[in-house]
Amino acid sequence: MSPATSATATTTVDPYAAGPVAHGRFLTRINPLAKLLAPVPAMALLIFVRDAVTPASFIALSALVIIVGVRITPRVLAVLAAIPLGVIVIGMGFSLWTDPSQVDDTTVLVQLGGWTLYSGALGVGFATGLRIAAIVMLTLIAGLSTTGPDLVRASVQQLRVPYRIGYTALAAFRFVPRFAHELDVIRQAHRVRGAHGGRGPFAALARWFGYVVPLLAGAIRHAERVALAMDARAFGAHPDRTERHLVPWRARDTVFVVAFVVASALIFFVTFPWGLS
Amino acid sequence: MTAPELVTLRDVAITHEGSDAASPASVDFSIAPGDVVLLLGPSGSGKSTLTLALNGLIPHAVPARVDGTITVDGLDTATASVAELSTRVGMVFQDPDAQLVTGTLLDEVAFGPENLRMPVVDVLARAETALRRVGLWERRADNPDTLSGGGRQRLAIACALAMGSPLLVLDEPTANLDPKGIEDVYAALADLVRAGDHAILLVEHNLDAALGFVDRVVVLDDTGRVIADGPVGTVLRERADELHALGVWLPVSTLAALQLRDAGYTLDPLPLTPRELRAALERTPRAASSADATAAAGAIASPRETAPHDTAKRQQTMLEVRGLSLRRGRSEVLHDVSLDIGAGEFVAIVGANGAGKTSLIQAMSGVVTPPRGTVHLTGAARPLDVARTDSRTLSRHIGFVFQNPEHQFIAHTVFDEVAHGLRRQRLAEDDIYTRTTELLERFGLADKAQQHPFLLSGGQKRRLSVGTALVAGAPLLVLDEPTFGQDHARADELLALLDELRAGGTTIVVVTHDMQLVTDHAQRTVVLSHGRVVTAAATADVFADTALIEGADLRLPPLRQALHDLPSHPELTGIARVADLPRRTS
Amino acid sequence: MREHGYAEQVTSSARLSTSILLTCAAIGVATGVLQIAAGAISIPVSATLPVLYGLVLGVHVLPGVIAQELLRAPWVALLTHVMAALVASAITPLWIGRYIGTALLIGGLQELIAAATRYRRWEAWRFFLSAIIVGVVIAVAIWFAADVTRFPLWGQILYVALFILGPVAWTAVGLAIGRALRRAGVPRRRQG
Ligand SMILES: Nc1ncnc2c1ncn2[C@@H]1O[C@H](COP(=O)(O)OP(=O)(O)OP(=O)(O)O)[C@@H](O)[C@H]1O
Ligand SMILES: Nc1ncnc2c1ncn2[C@@H]1O[C@H](COP(=O)(O)OP(=O)(O)OP(=O)(O)O)[C@@H](O)[C@H]1O
Ligand SMILES: [Mg+2]
Ligand SMILES: [Mg+2]
Repeated sequence: MSPATSATATTTVDPYAAGPVAHGRFLTRINPLAKLLAPVPAMALLIFVRDAVTPASFIALSALVIIVGVRITPRVLAVLAAIPLGVIVIGMGFSLWTDPSQVDDTTVLVQLGGWTLYSGALGVGFATGLRIAAIVMLTLIAGLSTTGPDLVRASVQQLRVPYRIGYTALAAFRFVPRFAHELDVIRQAHRVRGAHGGRGPFAALARWFGYVVPLLAGAIRHAERVALAMDARAFGAHPDRTERHLVPWRARDTVFVVAFVVASALIFFVTFPWGLS
Repeated sequence: MTAPELVTLRDVAITHEGSDAASPASVDFSIAPGDVVLLLGPSGSGKSTLTLALNGLIPHAVPARVDGTITVDGLDTATASVAELSTRVGMVFQDPDAQLVTGTLLDEVAFGPENLRMPVVDVLARAETALRRVGLWERRADNPDTLSGGGRQRLAIACALAMGSPLLVLDEPTANLDPKGIEDVYAALADLVRAGDHAILLVEHNLDAALGFVDRVVVLDDTGRVIADGPVGTVLRERADELHALGVWLPVSTLAALQLRDAGYTLDPLPLTPRELRAALERTPRAASSADATAAAGAIASPRETAPHDTAKRQQTMLEVRGLSLRRGRSEVLHDVSLDIGAGEFVAIVGANGAGKTSLIQAMSGVVTPPRGTVHLTGAARPLDVARTDSRTLSRHIGFVFQNPEHQFIAHTVFDEVAHGLRRQRLAEDDIYTRTTELLERFGLADKAQQHPFLLSGGQKRRLSVGTALVAGAPLLVLDEPTFGQDHARADELLALLDELRAGGTTIVVVTHDMQLVTDHAQRTVVLSHGRVVTAAATADVFADTALIEGADLRLPPLRQALHDLPSHPELTGIARVADLPRRTS
Repeated sequence: MREHGYAEQVTSSARLSTSILLTCAAIGVATGVLQIAAGAISIPVSATLPVLYGLVLGVHVLPGVIAQELLRAPWVALLTHVMAALVASAITPLWIGRYIGTALLIGGLQELIAAATRYRRWEAWRFFLSAIIVGVVIAVAIWFAADVTRFPLWGQILYVALFILGPVAWTAVGLAIGRALRRAGVPRRRQG
């Protein structure tokens, strides 16, 4: 129980406030904004990198932060295991698409009729694969350790996003299962009516177009009713509102951001991937 | 000096933007602290509009013109903000899901006080008090989605209470609930009334549940004028006929009592609820003219329903279900269901939430494919296995109506909507035109032929969806909760249509939670519980078995509640329909 | 007291109403739900036929186009994108960064372009112009990330062309959806 509530000397407890913050390891206790912002410089620079070592280093760095920072659940393992797989698939794909004339000075690996796969193409493809994987890994630092409501609260509390927008988003979380179910029923109903039978991408597009109107019409009407219910409870009455779930920015968040940016700079300094030297 | 009123309405008329008539058109009444007022009126008379005006949502959030003055606790709603008014008037709306905003019950109740910038301590204290009053404090950490419909509506009441408002306004708070949920909500409301610290304005069609604790009633007519304002007993008893003619719903118990009085029973004062009716009858000796009454009851004791399907018509089954088990997701939701639907029957399927009613009718009509060999259409020239029949052929035999008519609409005009089913059958354009026009005329939609289906009124949409299900010539019509979330006027209109269709030979299967509907219209009732058929028998017999009904988590219809197992009046015991009550014989 | 209430009401009518905010959220979530259901193709496409990625990515203009076409008000495009991204982040926090980035980029561009015409022009050409600009900006960003210069020349041209064609095609779809909704009487009243 937090000191604030016990100090009030009532029997009231606030179970939700203690919820997401207490468990988990250090990364879950870092402000979501810190986790989102710290990797941004590295991601921006990675776009212009062409070698393989730099992205590989960033993959290693992110993996380290994640493994140390969050509790390893089967889901986390699955996500981490999917990354090398992604590198291989994207690497192969981009190798095939690389223009052979740009790399025909490298070793021939495969020759099939008139088509040749050069080692240079493979190099380019895998560099791309690693680069994309590195960017994805950097976003996973926040992705694997942050809950949606905390992100919303941090944006309201630190970024000064108007709270009416933040709380509208919180209210909209409930729309997802509702609309997904609604879409299911609409699809069923249209199938019974025999709407837009036929195969192929165009029939499929027409079919989906038919689902959109009832789905959106119902969605918007529901939204208007929710808006009335929120207004009736004084939503937006004042420039700010009481906040029971604080997501503060602490010294450790600053430390995290600075440390991460310094580490990124170090990697770039060591690998110096710009080909100027 | 008069007593300080909480709310005063003077000559109030409200015109929605874009409409030319005001509804309500002329409203004058007031609510004092502690009053419990029921607002009645036919559909479209402006009840919902009026409730929105009380806390300023009209005109501040919904564009409309308000003439006259509405004063709440000294504030003029035309100038006070919705936020100011929200601490005087707490609102509970019809759809529980449209009132939820956060992830836990506690956050939900705290949402309002937080918006008012109250200190955290006060927020939590208010939340606790409010949750305790509706009996949900123990579940404060749960996600509202895990509550039943009735539980979510009680949560909405707690949210309104937490605003600290002395007046609570509820607009059809039970229209979307099953019988258990309705009971839940009224138990919570009755507690509030007993405590006496809140005034309540209630808009409700389900009078049988509400009348137990309401002390005043205000009635609007169809033009939106107040035509009655007084104690419930006086207004309902003295003007029952007038209200009935207006399309305002009277409690079933009152209608029954009026008829019993006619038949010679002394029932004074006129009972308004099943409990009052039962109590009044237990006090009353056998009717003075009991000979007549028993004679009349005896005449009706051979209900017209028992004859037809038990004998001759019984062989003519329309649809045969044999050993149907159905999986959905990972679990089996129907276990070894066998069932016959006879030609020309009106069958009701009832059961608690999650009993498998929707799954059953969807498998029966091929909306989800049943296992092969379990469902056969026997009404056709030769039996068809539903699992192997393509959807075009099926649509000629079975029409399926989904809960929300809008989900089924696929065309841009009412005409095309109906014509679609015929075009699928590859008929000639002339033929399509005549048949479509004919059907639209029959369903009272001819003048709307070129309108967009979404722009119809609720009742018209429902009629159109029934029409589209029938146009391909289906002799069997299956409807999933057709009256869910609809007011009684629309429900009644639909049922009249269904009765008419059945008289014309259409077989009808309905899933519903409305037990009075079942007793009034269905000849046969199928009770489902946990994916199994508990019983399938004549409706009267099903409801005669109280233990069975309550075992399946259902409730008896109001009249049945009043009259089941009544030792002092054996001639009345077991009657469930007003029409079956003894009449004055003359 | 009364004056205070009135003043509050006047200022509150100048800002976005709760109803608009939630309508934007609903559009964002509903298009998101459609994208979840229809969008499983994007992973195989980007792995095997990267040149077609532009067509798939173009679907992201949809929320902003529908919101602007239906509501015709300032901020609605950006809001709808941000709501969609926040909600999507809560469902699959894995992609928080990607969602927020795409939303700010595309929603911001759509908003800027509408602001440049002072929220007075809502003809179809304005939407298509906006689609082309969005397409160009995304193509440039992806150009570097995916190292498109390594593709054969025809691949490069096709790649860029599709990045522009994608948003344009999906804008056409969005406008058609908006029109169909208007015909169905949604939204019921002009808000804002
Ligand atoms: N937002 C709106 N815009 C325009 N007209 C409206 C709006 N809401 C309601 N109306 C119209 O105002 C009239 C009164 O509607 P209201 O919903 O208040 O009736 P009601 O008495 O609550 O009916 P019901 O019993 O069906 O709920 C109706 O004619 C309705 O069509
Ligand atoms: N698509 C589905 N996938 C998995 N389970 C399902 C699905 N649809 C329904 N169920 C489950 O099957 C059971 C029966 O559901 P069904 O909708 O048939 O009940 P019902 O009697 O119609 O209930 P209600 O009164 O709430 O409409 C429930 O436990 C439900 O959770
Ligand atoms: Mg109403
Ligand atoms: Mg059901």
